[in-house]
Amino acid sequence: MKHESNDKTKWLCDKCQRELELAKVKVRYMEGNFEVDLMKCPTCNQVFIDEALALGKMKEVEEGLEDK
Amino acid sequence: MNLDKLLETGDRCIHKEPPACTAQCPVHLEIIDFLSEIEKGNFQDAYKLMEKRIPFHKIIGRICDHPCEAPCERSKAGGSIQISDLEKAVLEYGAYKPKKVWPLPKNKGRVAIVGGGLSGLTVAVDLDKKGYIVTIFEATNRLGGQLWNFVGDALTEELLQEELQAIKDKKIAIHLETFVDKNSLTELLSEYDAVYLGTSKWEEPITWNPITFQVGSSTLFVGGGLVNETDSVIFSVSSGRRAAISIERYLSKVSLTDSREREGVFETVLRFDISNKASLPAIEKSGVIYSREEAIDEAKRCVKCQCRKCIEGCAHLRKYEMSPDAYIRQINHNERIILGTHYANKMINSCTECGLCKEECFLDISMKAVIQETRESMTERGEMPVSAHDFALKDMAFSNSSRFSLVRKQPSKEESKDLFYYPLISFSDYVKGLYKGTGKTEYLFYPGCQLPAAYPDDIKSIYEYLVGHVAGDVGIYLGCCGAPADWAGRKDLINENIEAIKKVWEEMKRPTFILACSSCIRVFEKYCPEIKVESLWDIYIREGLPNKDHIKTSQTLSIHDACATRENSDLHESVRKIVSKLGYGIEELEYSKEKTKCCGYGGLVYFANREQCDAFVSERIGESENDLLVYCSMCKDLFVSGGKRTYHLLDLIYPKDNIEAATRKTPTLSERHQNRSQVKQILLKEIWREDPMEELMAEDYTLIIHEDVQKSMENRYILMEDILMVLKNAEEKNERFCNPETGDYLAKLRRENVTYWVKYSNEGEAFLIKSVYSHRMEIVEE
Repeated sequence: MKHESNDKTKWLCDKCQRELELAKVKVRYMEGNFEVDLMKCPTCNQVFIDEALALGKMKEVEEGLEDK
Repeated sequence: MNLDKLLETGDRCIHKEPPACTAQCPVHLEIIDFLSEIEKGNFQDAYKLMEKRIPFHKIIGRICDHPCEAPCERSKAGGSIQISDLEKAVLEYGAYKPKKVWPLPKNKGRVAIVGGGLSGLTVAVDLDKKGYIVTIFEATNRLGGQLWNFVGDALTEELLQEELQAIKDKKIAIHLETFVDKNSLTELLSEYDAVYLGTSKWEEPITWNPITFQVGSSTLFVGGGLVNETDSVIFSVSSGRRAAISIERYLSKVSLTDSREREGVFETVLRFDISNKASLPAIEKSGVIYSREEAIDEAKRCVKCQCRKCIEGCAHLRKYEMSPDAYIRQINHNERIILGTHYANKMINSCTECGLCKEECFLDISMKAVIQETRESMTERGEMPVSAHDFALKDMAFSNSSRFSLVRKQPSKEESKDLFYYPLISFSDYVKGLYKGTGKTEYLFYPGCQLPAAYPDDIKSIYEYLVGHVAGDVGIYLGCCGAPADWAGRKDLINENIEAIKKVWEEMKRPTFILACSSCIRVFEKYCPEIKVESLWDIYIREGLPNKDHIKTSQTLSIHDACATRENSDLHESVRKIVSKLGYGIEELEYSKEKTKCCGYGGLVYFANREQCDAFVSERIGESENDLLVYCSMCKDLFVSGGKRTYHLLDLIYPKDNIEAATRKTPTLSERHQNRSQVKQILLKEIWREDPMEELMAEDYTLIIHEDVQKSMENRYILMEDILMVLKNAEEKNERFCNPETGDYLAKLRRENVTYWVKYSNEGEAFLIKSVYSHRMEIVEE
């Protein structure tokens, strides 16, 4: 589920005022646990998910797991 | 789920059953395919089908006694298809030089054929092809037997000779002028592995097995005239072919009787309704045989008998092109998967459970019942995709929460005392009703969840009408009956919900429920038949309509009955009486009353497969030029969203001056929540004169949401409330991302099992919402 954001503009963590970094993040759905590379705040660990990812790849994986 | 029982239901479906013509053809020519090829002008492909099924097709095709024609369904609408004449045309226009077939090595056993007539020749050719060494013994000096009697215009001597020569060319041993009697037969039986007796007469009576044509358990098999007792050529070749199958099975030492039920002529269980087909007479031949064009036209008269009644009526079965038998096999497969993808889940969640299929079926097969059981099985085993019904179930929970749910007895006489002193008010039916109050709740008005969501202003009027008109006290009960849980296969939730309803019913000393929603009626009948219910529409007819001068403009309406009321003919009549009393004309739809269709909302298809839902909507709204009249608020909302002018019965009974009811914008998902809460507030304040409940959500934020974002909210099932909670969290805790270049913020919040994201910017004091989306996957932030 590796994802490069289409959003070319730079988002910052508003709380920590830091640039986001690509990092391994744990995600889970139903009985599936996996690690994916996502943008997150290196300080507070807030993970950034844009619309294309949520409605694209993430939805696809969710549906796949629901039908397993 | 009992899968064996399920498969039995599927096996009852007659969709795949052969038509009567093929069943009555002793060699089962696939006549529908045959005619379809002719219809397309593919005479050669039609010829191939004859070649495949009919022994000596060039001969039989010209002289067949065509038992296929008599049972033709077309005979009831213009005359049977002239199949026999079409075969002759196909032999003329579709024949091609056969491909050279390499003979198999002859090593499978030796078979003697007694009698070189039609059936004997069939056995000889069939067994020769399969690698048996075949020897024919014929009493006369030529092969062909009774075939020579047919020589004439249709079957020329030249053609017959040619066909017989082809047999000789196969190097089948032929002994002409060799008479076989009882004694020589005994010799043949000892000499050969099997013997076929295909003479027209025999010197002593023989008994044989009617399925295998075997005589006792011997190596003797019979066929032809001895068996058929007619001179039908098609029966003769059929018996020869079947005897050849038996001989092969016998010599291969496999069961002679397995799966032979449908050899020869049989009665098909297929039923076909030709009543809606226009009568078309048979095409006349201009010559001795049909011309190509005449043959094509004659083939076009075939109605291609196949039972598709359920499929034709249902946008779901048509979308997946599924007959119940095929559908059930898919469900069976889906249920048995342990590891792997359940491909049928989405299909199973795309049935509206409207029940039209059963209504249309000759055999009462109900896919509604099958789908309901399947969904229950899926939820019990944890195989139901959560996202399919999650929003609808949360909506149900909302309706049963304190934000909407309410139970009240009719305001007592004591509480209403002040009303009785105002002379004007005391003339109102409502106040008169209050004055007659006894304190015993005879009726409980239960408007359901979607009606208050769509008609918040009318619930109070209906309540006041009921108090003023029905005999006995009328209480009110706001909530959701549990239909979403039923559709989602959530037995646990529906049972819990029904228990809660029963508890209120008991506490109120078992009043009659007055229901306004068709789905509520269905749920009450299914899950708590002990509760007496009455439809609001029936009461309007019994007690009289509330307003006198309601009609704006007289027009003709087509009534779309709610699918949940399919079996409720009294209710259908009441609705029609109301519409007529209000001065409207009625033009019935083809699919109405017990054969009504679903709008597309049923079975929660709206949530599980929007595309399927849209297919139901667009089909239904295209069925009438008239404005539609419905009495279920979801039907109304879907049809209006589809662009069809549609009235709800309440639009006619309680007309509003300032809005065009037939095109009224449907409330959004958020507005549905707000409207329900508002109904509760209005009732509490204006009927029970209680303090309104506290606002659960302090709306400190002013939001600007443009239409495109509102549309995504609807399509993505995101409520205003979700957005507000995300903003509140972001603003209070600063948990958000910011974009210095655009000044936008992006914030998220997980609520239950969904994470909501909101992109927004500050516009002075207000928030401009730029986009909203969500996902179910959980991100572990550590």
